[in-house]
Amino acid sequence: MTKHRVGLFIPCYVDQFYPQVGIATLELLEKFGCEVVYPPNQTCCGQPMANSGFEHLTTGCNDLFIKNFSEFDYIVAPSGSCVLHIKEHLHGSDIPKKMYELVEFLTDVLKVDSLEASFPYKVGLHQSCHGQRGLGLAQMSELMAPPFSKPQQLLDLVKGIELINLDRVDECCGFGGTFCVAEEAVSVKMGKDRVADHIHHGAEVITGADMSCLMHLEGILRRQKSDVRVKHIAEILNSQIKA
Amino acid sequence: MSTNHNNHAALAAAFNKDEPRVEWHDQTLWWVRKKRDIAAAKVPDWEALRDTASRIKDNVLSNLSGYLRQFEEEAIRNGITVHWAADATEHNQIILSLLQKHKVDKMVKSKSMLTEECHLNEFLHENGVEVIDTDLGERVVQLAGEPPSHIVLPCIHKKKEEIGEIFHEHLGTPAGNADPQFLTHAARLHLREKFLTRRVALTGVNFAVAETGEFVVCTNEGNADMGAHLADVHIACMGIEKIIPQRRHLGVFLRLLARSATGQPITTYSSHFRRPRPGQEMHIVLVDNGRSVHLGRKDFRNSLKCIRCAACFNTCPVYRRSGGHSYHTAVAGPIGSILAPNLDRSKYADLPFASTLCGSCSNVCPVKIDIHEQLYKWRQVIVQEGNATAGKKAAMKAMNWVLSNPSVYHGAGRAGRWFMLNAPFTVNNGLNAWWRQRDMPVAPKQSFGEWYKKNKH
Amino acid sequence: MSSREKILSAVAANQPAPRELPPLPSAAPAAESAQGSAMPADLDAQFIAVLESIGGEAYTVSGFARIGTILHEKFPAAKRVISNCPQIQPFAEAASASEDPHTFEDVDLAILPAHFGVAENGACWITESQMLHRALPFITQHLALVIHRRDIVADMHQAYDRIALLESAVAPYGFATFIAGPSKTADIEQSLVLGAHGPISLTVFLLDEQLSDAGFF
Repeated sequence: MTKHRVGLFIPCYVDQFYPQVGIATLELLEKFGCEVVYPPNQTCCGQPMANSGFEHLTTGCNDLFIKNFSEFDYIVAPSGSCVLHIKEHLHGSDIPKKMYELVEFLTDVLKVDSLEASFPYKVGLHQSCHGQRGLGLAQMSELMAPPFSKPQQLLDLVKGIELINLDRVDECCGFGGTFCVAEEAVSVKMGKDRVADHIHHGAEVITGADMSCLMHLEGILRRQKSDVRVKHIAEILNSQIKA
Repeated sequence: MSTNHNNHAALAAAFNKDEPRVEWHDQTLWWVRKKRDIAAAKVPDWEALRDTASRIKDNVLSNLSGYLRQFEEEAIRNGITVHWAADATEHNQIILSLLQKHKVDKMVKSKSMLTEECHLNEFLHENGVEVIDTDLGERVVQLAGEPPSHIVLPCIHKKKEEIGEIFHEHLGTPAGNADPQFLTHAARLHLREKFLTRRVALTGVNFAVAETGEFVVCTNEGNADMGAHLADVHIACMGIEKIIPQRRHLGVFLRLLARSATGQPITTYSSHFRRPRPGQEMHIVLVDNGRSVHLGRKDFRNSLKCIRCAACFNTCPVYRRSGGHSYHTAVAGPIGSILAPNLDRSKYADLPFASTLCGSCSNVCPVKIDIHEQLYKWRQVIVQEGNATAGKKAAMKAMNWVLSNPSVYHGAGRAGRWFMLNAPFTVNNGLNAWWRQRDMPVAPKQSFGEWYKKNKH
Repeated sequence: MSSREKILSAVAANQPAPRELPPLPSAAPAAESAQGSAMPADLDAQFIAVLESIGGEAYTVSGFARIGTILHEKFPAAKRVISNCPQIQPFAEAASASEDPHTFEDVDLAILPAHFGVAENGACWITESQMLHRALPFITQHLALVIHRRDIVADMHQAYDRIALLESAVAPYGFATFIAGPSKTADIEQSLVLGAHGPISLTVFLLDEQLSDAGFF
């Protein structure tokens, strides 16, 4: 197996609030034979500012990103929206060509076809918009085109997992970056509706490839005192690595 | 950015106070989106058809002046009088002049979003002209004294009981009757009298064909035809971007329009007007009102490809949960949010932010307008031109400083987590918009960076 | 500078670099029969199915006598029936084409020929000269259209090819329309109601004998 040397990019909010997702990502990549390097001076991809109209303030972030990651042949991040942002808005570097979201890296580059993972729960898969429509991680319901889903492809390899159906398979969760506070009422209503869809179909765990969506849904679930948990797909794919 | 309450966030928050109603509005419009999916799935070459339509419209924009000239020449040859209006004021004045020339102060009008954009009804009312909107949904909102909330389904925000009340007050239907069949029949009788007695009818234009000088008006109700064929004067109003090159291109657009809009294979009537009836006058008003300026914007001109199907409205999770009136503009929804800033940058500066950039809109658009990408680009323009609040500017500058300096970022992260763990009230309070309806994430003891340093380095 | 000049020069100055027109979808291949000629059997079945799904009714008939019988049964209370199909008299009144449309206000049923149907959407194409008056297909309470069973095209691309062919044979229409089903609205809470401002019902007859072409174009 070729040993891929991977630069690991951990989104700012994952770094600060969900380190276990970063850990799971790292362990998963090492498990598949990658040499994983985490440049310590990374911060953020710049998306929160750019999406708020302040693209012109992202040169600091961009320069830092280029400085930290240029050397790698592969840069992997457990976040569809961050990866999409880099691919679309980082200029003056070949990093966009080398940037991968975790799921697509596993399916397209490492070509993972089996997993030693066990997660015996009813799981709802949330298709995060940027990963799905932007990176093409899964077919979108708007298009008249053959279905496919890279996250589901990987989850189907996990023993004991039961994936539930949803009424709306790819409706946005409502996080949307600063939208989550600037349009708080609509953002929360969108999140509540997503949560209700999953609960209606019996989900015990909601997963996806973007922790920002899951953070938003988790906030609503915990406010509702629900037993339903959120877990990033990296954590599920990596489950049972440690006893 | 507008600080008054006429901004999408404030209006949407008010809309969301009635949660069951939001759910009703959302479910109704989601159902229309689903009908579109079912109809599109029956067309084997749907995606290729979208591509064809998109490329036809690209061609139109690239030769719009040529097509406009060709259309005018053919239309005049057909006996249609062609008028040109640089802006809304001229458009309104042209129509008033025609009415005055014919000594008419009562007219019927079928759906035209352009006339909403130009505020024609108010202008004519001020000048002593009675305008009856004959599209059922438009008539409902006209009687209610409101603008339409959706460009295809004007009163989708109204429950049938509310419509029943409006008809009881204005049409004399029995109080409490909310049966759609009964109310529609009452409207049929009420409006039939108007069709039979009005001498001037105004219609919109769905497509104007440069090659033949004809224009097409699509309706389900037949109201455009009832008005036009009974009137002595038919005035058609269109934005200059509604031109298509050849008649056979209608095959493409008529296959896409109704399926995208309502899930029907075609509207009941697709009426092709080429010559006035003997003894009738037919006029067409070509309106610019900022379109030629928009045409020059490389990043935004594609929004002029729009065929006004509203598929983007129906698929937009934000529109469904905020309603058309939250956009405070004639054309709401995703397409409205990229058209309106062209009309008035500061008044509509809020609209490009009324979105999570999920991208659903761009993928239902029959002419493949890159709506969600334009929303992002408008945000940059709006901020660059100084339409962000001082508070937001300051917050972004601070964020930039933190995120460009690793040591500051690490310190800020540690401090933030410390407060969340040890003094949660500093974060969990009413000043924190996140916290109103969501719990904050649980702050871990160490960040990933700190873990990595300790365990892997 | 007139508004016309202002607008045209602004548009010319701002329009983007030329983009070519795309080719249009090629005509859907017609089903071949054993004898090698195109058989429209699937097309008329599809046309009928779609028309019925959008609230219209369809009958395949061998002649006008049958049309008269069916309409007489469907609309026994119709007081004023007008037709532009000579063969349908004496069941229907033959009105003159030059009348003031307001005099058609009390027409209960109009029976008109159309040129062809479109299978993918159940629509019929009818031109002005077939209508007696532009207002008639809309002002009548009920509408019946007559097409030949073989005059059904698969889709709208073929429809516009057919329209171009028709025009090369006769004078261009001043007004024409596709009619797909009865008038309708779903503006009240998305509840579908048949019968808005145009006809409350639409019945399409598919004839399987040649229509006489006198006065139909």
